[in-house]
Amino acid sequence: MAKASRPATDAPPERPPASLITRSIEGIGRRVLSGLEDLGRVTHILALALANLFVRPVRVRETLRMMEFVGVQSLPIILLTSAFTGAVFTLQSYRAFAMFGAQAMVGGTVGVALTRELGPTLTGLLVAGRAGSAMAAEIGAMRVSEQIDALDAMAVDPINYLVKPRIVASVLVVPMLTALFDFVGCLGSYAIGVGVLRLSRPEFMVRLRDWVDWDDIWTGLFKALVFGLIIGTVACYKGFYTTGGARGVGLATTSSVVVSSVAILISNFFIAYALP
Amino acid sequence: MIIDPVTGAPAAIRYEGVHKSFGTNHVLRGLDLIVPRGKITAIIGRSGTGKSVTLKHVMGLLRPDRGEIFLGDVNLMQLNPKALRRVRERFGVVFQNAALFDSMDVFDNVAFPLLEHESFSSDVVRAKVTAALAQVGLSAAVHRLPSELSGGMRKRVGLARALIRDPEFLLYDEPTTGLDPILSAAMDELIYETQQARPALTSVIISHDMKAVLAIADKVAFLVDGRVVHEGTPEYFAQSDDALIRQFLAGSLDGPMKV
Ligand SMILES: Nc1ncnc2c1ncn2[C@@H]1O[C@H](COP(=O)(O)OP(=O)(O)OP(=O)(O)O)[C@@H](O)[C@H]1O
Ligand SMILES: [Mg+2]
Repeated sequence: MAKASRPATDAPPERPPASLITRSIEGIGRRVLSGLEDLGRVTHILALALANLFVRPVRVRETLRMMEFVGVQSLPIILLTSAFTGAVFTLQSYRAFAMFGAQAMVGGTVGVALTRELGPTLTGLLVAGRAGSAMAAEIGAMRVSEQIDALDAMAVDPINYLVKPRIVASVLVVPMLTALFDFVGCLGSYAIGVGVLRLSRPEFMVRLRDWVDWDDIWTGLFKALVFGLIIGTVACYKGFYTTGGARGVGLATTSSVVVSSVAILISNFFIAYALP
Repeated sequence: MIIDPVTGAPAAIRYEGVHKSFGTNHVLRGLDLIVPRGKITAIIGRSGTGKSVTLKHVMGLLRPDRGEIFLGDVNLMQLNPKALRRVRERFGVVFQNAALFDSMDVFDNVAFPLLEHESFSSDVVRAKVTAALAQVGLSAAVHRLPSELSGGMRKRVGLARALIRDPEFLLYDEPTTGLDPILSAAMDELIYETQQARPALTSVIISHDMKAVLAIADKVAFLVDGRVVHEGTPEYFAQSDDALIRQFLAGSLDGPMKV
């Protein structure tokens, strides 16, 4: 009926110029669609890499090389950051606890915060910034200079050769770095707490041991594993679908850091929510 | 069996009505082409007409939007990824910009296909790589990184890498562009000799060097706007008085093709 009441012979109905609202809705729609497409392709690349896990060649050497790159080369920044994080967190919580005369709780509080939250999250963010970006840039450069085409042309599966070792390496290494972060963070805390703030050494240690459960440590390491998966997958995905020359490589690099950092923080919340 | 009308040799690769677009850019527009077995086929045409895109379709690096590509009797479009990989093992490719792995030195680049697909001892690998590098005149550069090579040297490393497993098909994307005249002549010679030494080899070469094309090719296909508009022997091209061909061979600004 609505159609019939508007005869076809009429002048075409005036189409108002796209208003700000229409345009922004269209913009949002496009974002959502491209976001969904991204999600689909990330899942796809991850699924391919997982399906390749036990497909020969296994790529042990390449994986070790990537572990060295992600792990060993991240050591300085992890050591530095963890020591100072433990130290500053101790300083601040000491000030707060001192108001109630509860300074003795500092060691345990810092320990729990480090193992559950700060260790995995900061390690994840640091690795995303240092190693994830470099992986995205390397694969992106290989894409735009046709090296990935060359792999394909030589009948070498780039997922098996490039993507699998990188994802496996990040999944293995980020938990290791996190464990190190936790440990060195506690050392930093001890150094400030016992060394500078003159907390009692036995009390600091007892609280640390009593409060930090294996549960806290395992939760933290599980998070780290998920973050490693995010970093490796996002970096490979961004690199793999790079287009547009050197500028494209730059964009892929930046966006790999942004996307994996955001994904780390969001998934951190959901894991914390799901695991008591 | 399908016979190539130009050379009389059986078809090794056959494009049938291939269309390919990138977004709104319609590059291949119904490409038909037969690449004869055991011969050198040259694809010529202006920059951006889709020569490299044509080549990338043979190895399944790109998939046509429409049309078929046959390798012998096998329809490439119907192969699963694993079968496609086995097909690719029969190819050697020299990419337009060499596409060497920049994290590896020259030796490792050339050895790469062997290490991936064969289980030779390291002595055999070393011997083969050394021989291949000697063939392209780069014995001195074994341990340099691609970033330390000139463009011409990189191309020759790319050729050594393409030859190392003795492929059935050799695809060259502008093997001589960017080489000095003497190196270019040496490269053309190398391509020609490689073909002569292997009667079963099928070579496809994309080139802008008309003199070399007419000297070494058995068949020439002229691509305009994503279609083969002329194909024939080098003699056919040399004697043709078609305006397009004359203009292209002469590199002239006057004629049907505009800049
Ligand atoms: N992966 C791609 N994505 C988008 N467009 C592409 C892609 N590859 C090629 N094109 C476009 O296809 C067209 C043909 O490109 P192609 O590289 O085949 O040209 P060509 O004939 O090899 O030119 P040249 O002689 O300069 O190498 C160009 O317009 C190019 O922009
Ligand atoms: Mg090209």
